[in-house]
Amino acid sequence: MTATAANSAALAAKPQTLWSTAWRQFRRNRLAAACLWIIVIYVGIWLYAESVYWTAYLRDVVPSYKVTDFDARNAAPSLRHWLGTDFTGRDNVAQLIQGVRIAFEIAILSSAILIPLGFLLGALAGYFGRWVDNAIIWLYSVVDSVPSILSIISISYVVGRGMKGIVIGMGLVAWVGLCRLIRGEYLKHKQRAYVAAARALGAGHLTVMLRHIAPNVLHIVIITFTLLFPRFILTEVILSYLGVGIANEPSWGVMINDAKQRLWLGVWWELGGATAAMFFLVLALNIVGDALRDALDPKLKTAEGSAT
Amino acid sequence: MENTNQTLLDVRDLRISFFTDEGEVRAVDGISFSMKPGETLAVVGESGSGKSVTAMALTRLVPSPPARYLGGEIIFKGRDTLKLSPEELRRVRGAQISYIFQEPSTSLNPVFQIRSQIAEAIELHRRDVKDVDAEAERLLTLVGIRDARLRMGDYPHQLSGGMQQRVMIAMALACNPSLLVADEPTTALDVTIQAQIMELLKELKQKLGMAIMLITHNFSIVADIADNIAVMFRGKIVEYGPTQRVLHEPQHPYTKALLECIPRLGAHKHRLKTINHAEIEAALGR
Amino acid sequence: MPLLEVKNLKVYFPIMGGVIRHKIGEVKAVDDVSFAIEPGETVGLVGESGSGKTTIGRAILRLLEPTAGEVRFDGHDITHASERELRPLRKQMQMVFQDPFGSLNPRMTIASIVGEAMKIHFRQMDRNARRDRIAELLRRVGLKPEHMNRYPHEFSGGQRQRIGIARALAVEPKFIVCDEPVSALDVSVQAAIINLLQDLQEQYRLTYLFIAHDLAVVEHISDRVLVMTQGKIVEAASSEEIYERPQHPYTQKLIAAVPKAF
Repeated sequence: MTATAANSAALAAKPQTLWSTAWRQFRRNRLAAACLWIIVIYVGIWLYAESVYWTAYLRDVVPSYKVTDFDARNAAPSLRHWLGTDFTGRDNVAQLIQGVRIAFEIAILSSAILIPLGFLLGALAGYFGRWVDNAIIWLYSVVDSVPSILSIISISYVVGRGMKGIVIGMGLVAWVGLCRLIRGEYLKHKQRAYVAAARALGAGHLTVMLRHIAPNVLHIVIITFTLLFPRFILTEVILSYLGVGIANEPSWGVMINDAKQRLWLGVWWELGGATAAMFFLVLALNIVGDALRDALDPKLKTAEGSAT
Repeated sequence: MENTNQTLLDVRDLRISFFTDEGEVRAVDGISFSMKPGETLAVVGESGSGKSVTAMALTRLVPSPPARYLGGEIIFKGRDTLKLSPEELRRVRGAQISYIFQEPSTSLNPVFQIRSQIAEAIELHRRDVKDVDAEAERLLTLVGIRDARLRMGDYPHQLSGGMQQRVMIAMALACNPSLLVADEPTTALDVTIQAQIMELLKELKQKLGMAIMLITHNFSIVADIADNIAVMFRGKIVEYGPTQRVLHEPQHPYTKALLECIPRLGAHKHRLKTINHAEIEAALGR
Repeated sequence: MPLLEVKNLKVYFPIMGGVIRHKIGEVKAVDDVSFAIEPGETVGLVGESGSGKTTIGRAILRLLEPTAGEVRFDGHDITHASERELRPLRKQMQMVFQDPFGSLNPRMTIASIVGEAMKIHFRQMDRNARRDRIAELLRRVGLKPEHMNRYPHEFSGGQRQRIGIARALAVEPKFIVCDEPVSALDVSVQAAIINLLQDLQEQYRLTYLFIAHDLAVVEHISDRVLVMTQGKIVEAASSEEIYERPQHPYTQKLIAAVPKAF
C-alpha cells in the first residue's frame, strides 16, 4: 500500500478555499483595494442617511435635508453649507448624502429582483437545454430587443412612477446580461464529470443545479452585481433627467436635473457636488468589479480539467 | 571550455525556484546535462519533478516572477541563453529551439486554418522562403499528412488529436530547428496514435538530423528513440546515461521503481510495483 | 446469473443542423452491443477515443438515455426505470471517472463530496456517524482523514482519483464502472491506483467494468477483455487469449501499439 507515498506531497498548513485564494489575489491589486475602501465609506454614508431618514419618518417630522430656507437660496459654499444650498435653500451636502441612500436602495432592490430572475432562468436554460432553453432564449431576446430605457419608462408608467417604477423596471429589464452569463456557465458545467458523478449517486436535478453547480457560478453573480451597480445609478440619473424618475426625494439625478437650470447663474456647486459623488462611486465600483473578475476567474480555470 | 562544435547544448548547475505565498519551491535544483547535435535525450520523471520547467527554461519561457533563475548556465551553441537580450532570445526561440506540447488541441488557434498557422511560423523565421504555401505543403507531407494541399484549408477542430499533433510538429519544423523539445507529446493521445507519433519523431530525427529532447513520465516510449536518458526526481537528475544502460542496469532506486511500475502485456503479475517516495527521498539524504 | 447484462444496446446521438435546428443525421456511438458481467469479475473494455466505450459506461448507469436495447442489473431491467426506481439501484452501481480535475466539485470539501452519497442513501445516519464513515473511507483509499475539510485543488491528480474512488465506495456498491481511471495519471501513480482498485475488489467483492485505451493496463487488471471500435465490440476473450491469440485486425493493431518490453 502506498498510502504514505500518496500523502507525501505536502499540503499547505491550512485548508484553502477558492474564495480565500481569490481574496488574496484581489488584495494584491492596490488600486482595487483602495477603491474597496471608497465603497466602504459610501456604505457608511448610506447607513447614516438611512438613519436620518428613518428617524424623521418615525418621529413624523420633516427631515433635516428637506428643511427649506428661502433666505439662503442658491447660497455659495460656506462653512455652514459646504456645498452651498439649492434653489429652496436646502443644504446640498445633506441632499448628496440622501442621494447615496437613493442610489444604494435602487441598486439593491433592483438586484433583489434581477439576480434571482436572471440566475434562475439562466440556470434552467443552461441545465435543461432543449425547449426550456429555446423558450428562455426567446424571452430574453424579446426583452433585449427593446431599448432598455424605453422598457423601464413604460414599466414605470404601469406600476407607478418614482422609486417603485425604477426598481421594478430595471429589475425586469436588466436580468438579460446575467441570464446569458449564467446560462453559458451552466452549459459548461453540465458537461463536467462532477455533475455526472452526482447524478450517478442519485442526486436529483434540483440538487445538482443548486447544490453542485450554483456554488461554481456564484462568482458571476458577484461580478455582475458590482458592474451593474454603476449602471443602476446612471440609469436613475438619466430617468430623473428625463423627468420620469424619483420625485420628492433628493436623488443625484434629481439634483443634477434641477441644478442644470441654474448653471447659467454661476451656481456650479450643486451640479459639481452631485456629479463628483456619483463619479467616485461609479469609478470605484468599476475598478473593484474588474479586479474581482480577475481574481475570481483565473482561479476557476486552474480547477478546470480537460473535458471528458 | 568544450569545443562548441561538439556540443549543441550544455546545461550546468541550473537552479530555478518558484516563489509563492507558501514560500520557495525548488523546481530545478542544480542539474547538469549536455546534448550533441542530432542526439535524442529523454528526460523522464513524474509530474512535479521539474522536467517541464527544465525544458521551458532553455529559452527562458518560464515566467519570472513567480519563477526565479537562481543560477547556472544554459550554453546553447556556445552562448548562454540565460544572458541573451530579449531580442536575441526571440531569434533562438522557434528558430533554433522549437517546442511541441502535450495538448495539441489547445496549442492550435481554433479560428485559423492550418495553412495560415504554418505560414506564420515560416514567415516569422525564414524570410527567404518565397512560396510559403508550397513549403507548408512540404512540411505537412513530411509529418505524414496525406493530401496535404487539401488539409491545409482545414480548421484544427476538423482534425483528430493525432493529426493535430502532426500539424504541431510541422509548425515546429517550419524553421529548421537544431533542437526540438517535445514535452509529453503523446500523453493526451490514444495508444495506437501514440505509437504513430513516436514513429514519426524517430523518422524525422533520422531524416533531418536535429536533436530531440523528449520529456515524458513514461519509460516505455523512450526505449526505441532515445540515445541518452536523464531521470529527474524532485528537481534533481538522479540518473543520467546511455539508454540501454539506464534501462537494463538502472543504478538509482528511483529509476528501478519507475521501470517496474509499468504494466506489461503478458506479464500476468498479480500486483504492480509502486513507488515509495518517502524511501527514495531518504535515499537521497534529505 | 450475470450481475450485469447488456443486450443489443444502441446509443445514437442526433446531429442537429439547418436554420431551424432539426435532426439531420445521427452518430452511432454505440451500435448494437451485447455482453454480460458475472459477479466478482473484472471486464476490460478497450478502444480508442470516439470508439463509444465511455458512452457504454454512461448508458449502463443511465447517465445517458439508450436509444434501444436493454441493460439488466441483478435481474432488473433498468433501461426504462424512472428516476425514482433507479435511486435504490444507484446505491449498487457506481462510477470512477477519468478526469481527476473535472470529476470533483471544486467548491465542495472532500468530506461533503464523499459524504453526499450517505446523505442520499443512508438518511438515518447522523452527523458523527457520517464523519466516522468518511474518515474510514479516506483511510481505506490511502488518504489521511484529517484532510477531509480540504478542497480538491489542494490535492495531486492521484490523490484526487483516490477521493473519487472513496466517493464511489461510500454507497457500498456491488458494481463499479471505472472509466479510464488511470489514463490521466503518471505511470507511477497509475500503478498505485490499479493496486488500490484490486485491493478494494478483493475486500468488498466488487465487480468492475474497466474502460481504458491502454491494452497493457486492461490486460493486467481484467479477467476478460472486450475490444471496441467504431461503436461495435469486435472481439471478446479472456485476457490471456486476447494477448496470445488476437483474432481481429484491430486487436492486433492495439497490441502492436504497446511499446515492447525492453
